[in-house]
Amino acid sequence: MAVIELKNVRKAFGAVEVIGCVNLTIPDGAFVIFVGPSGSGKSTLLRLVAGLEDASAGQILIDGADVTQMGPAERQLSMVFQSYALYPTKTVRQNMSFGLEVARLPKDEIEARVDRVADILKLGDYLDRKPRALSGGQRQRVAIGRAIVREPVAFLFDEPLSNLDAALRVEMRVEIAKLHQRLGATMIYVTHDQVEAMTLADQIVVLDKGAIQQVGTPMELYQRPANLFVAQFIGSPKMNILAVQPDGAAVAFADGTRADFGAQVAQNLSHIGFRPEEVQLLDEGEGQLQGTVEVVERLGSDTFAYVALGALGTVTIRMPGNVLNIAPGQRVGLGLTLPQLHLFASDGTRLS
Amino acid sequence: MSIVGKTATSGKFRRNRWLLTGVLSLYFLYTFMPLFYVITAATKSNPDLFSTFGLWFAPDFNLWDNLHTLFTIQDGIFLKWMGNTAYYSSISAAGAALFSTFAGYAFAKYSFFGKKLMFALVLGAVMIPQTALVIPMFLMLSKLGLTNTAFAVIAPSLVFPPGVFLMRAYIDDAISNELIEAGRMDGAGEVHIFSAIAFRLLMPGFTTVLILAFVANWNNYFLPLVMLNKPDMFPITVGLAQMYSTAISGTGGVLLFTVVMTGALVSIVPVIAAFLIMQRFWQGGLGAGGVKA
Repeated sequence: MAVIELKNVRKAFGAVEVIGCVNLTIPDGAFVIFVGPSGSGKSTLLRLVAGLEDASAGQILIDGADVTQMGPAERQLSMVFQSYALYPTKTVRQNMSFGLEVARLPKDEIEARVDRVADILKLGDYLDRKPRALSGGQRQRVAIGRAIVREPVAFLFDEPLSNLDAALRVEMRVEIAKLHQRLGATMIYVTHDQVEAMTLADQIVVLDKGAIQQVGTPMELYQRPANLFVAQFIGSPKMNILAVQPDGAAVAFADGTRADFGAQVAQNLSHIGFRPEEVQLLDEGEGQLQGTVEVVERLGSDTFAYVALGALGTVTIRMPGNVLNIAPGQRVGLGLTLPQLHLFASDGTRLS
Repeated sequence: MSIVGKTATSGKFRRNRWLLTGVLSLYFLYTFMPLFYVITAATKSNPDLFSTFGLWFAPDFNLWDNLHTLFTIQDGIFLKWMGNTAYYSSISAAGAALFSTFAGYAFAKYSFFGKKLMFALVLGAVMIPQTALVIPMFLMLSKLGLTNTAFAVIAPSLVFPPGVFLMRAYIDDAISNELIEAGRMDGAGEVHIFSAIAFRLLMPGFTTVLILAFVANWNNYFLPLVMLNKPDMFPITVGLAQMYSTAISGTGGVLLFTVVMTGALVSIVPVIAAFLIMQRFWQGGLGAGGVKA
């Protein structure tokens, strides 16, 4: 059980600053996900918390105690690595008990703990096997088991599922969610997969270029993204973004089309965004924008239409169910309403 | 449709293959002929050695007599030399392989001040033959009064720059950084991580360096020649060379020619045995399953 705080944490490799002044508090028992594109600094931030990298400046606190100068083990954290990082020459049991042996726990307690965790993770049948005799999912379970047996104050996961195939990834995702409910421990999880972030997290920390872009619950991020980056990063398919200019009470799109939303818009408005499900598909001539359907994808539960808006580019529209009266080549109108629009200023931040 | 270009059966490949086989056959002859000469010579009596064709056996098979002479001559000094060689080269090889592994691990996995310069020095040292350093080392050790000791032969051999170079390259590949980090997260110290996790994975590399160092030391001639002057401390190389010079000087040592040849043959056997024994450690895939590539 731990509250983890980062205060003005910076990290530079030589002259390259990869983390620039991060302030963050991770509440006790929270499942926090660091998400961002590659090179955003999410893994580095996790490694700073773990103690595998030294912070260039700032403080890292666990339950109020400054651990900035402490080594990984002293911080009493466990980490699950992307590559599993199992000890190849040791059996599953030896892999899980290694950390406990290092800590010089009594033999019978080590055995009891390993057995208990093996039971939770259904690894009982594999305890005497070497990692090479296990499947990818089993190896990842051993890696998680090795983290659990140490009973750490918090768990760190570095893209733990990205080496698994799609089906197994969904399965393990559910297992990790269950594990969090069962253990109630603080967990920090790094991923570039925003679906993992949306489904697992209590709180998502969106990172880009070494800086926190937004911290919030998955729904806050989805419904009120703080800037253009978060708006485009969270959500699949991603948010449609169009460049606009305020034109009196209306807005003008880049191709000269004007749209009147019946309300005054801010003078520094530069982009509008709308989720694929926040736009209405109308007949030609209706709505604010006109376009041609390029491609229709039918998933059964949803229908996606990709509509070309000429010079403005292509937007994605999501409609529930199997929508039949739509076909490629069809001319359509798009209906947007102001309350559903996300408005962004010229510096990319959210307006209103 | 047939595939054109460099497939396994293309004419060009076949021609190249014949060329390659030809060149390798010549190389095989070049390396095997002296060995074969030693084998045939060791089976001949001294007169036959000079009167029969060198690359074939004489009608008279004299190997057992030669072996008997070899092991009994000068109160069995050859056995003593063999023991010396085994002692010097096994301690030197084990030490050299161990130090190479330590150094290679440090170079591969840690960043420290002066690393680039130090590695450049190691690379430079690979280019300098030990022979060039023997005289300065002799002067140094004689000042310390350490010549004519096993230490004088073993200590310089513990430094094996090619081993450091090999181990660095091997460790770079064989040990993933995450494995070391997993050990750190588990609370293990660096020495513990090295000994409990990394070392087992390095066995193939370690054995390679061990064998290379063993063979180099087994065959080392110049270093013991300079450092030692008591015949009962000689390794085989120096001992046999001394026997040979007695033989050519003709001072009652004519018989010794076959003994030298037999001694040379016997001295190869342990090296071959070492290769065969160590071979089983040369298996790849020890690290399989630990980390996802």
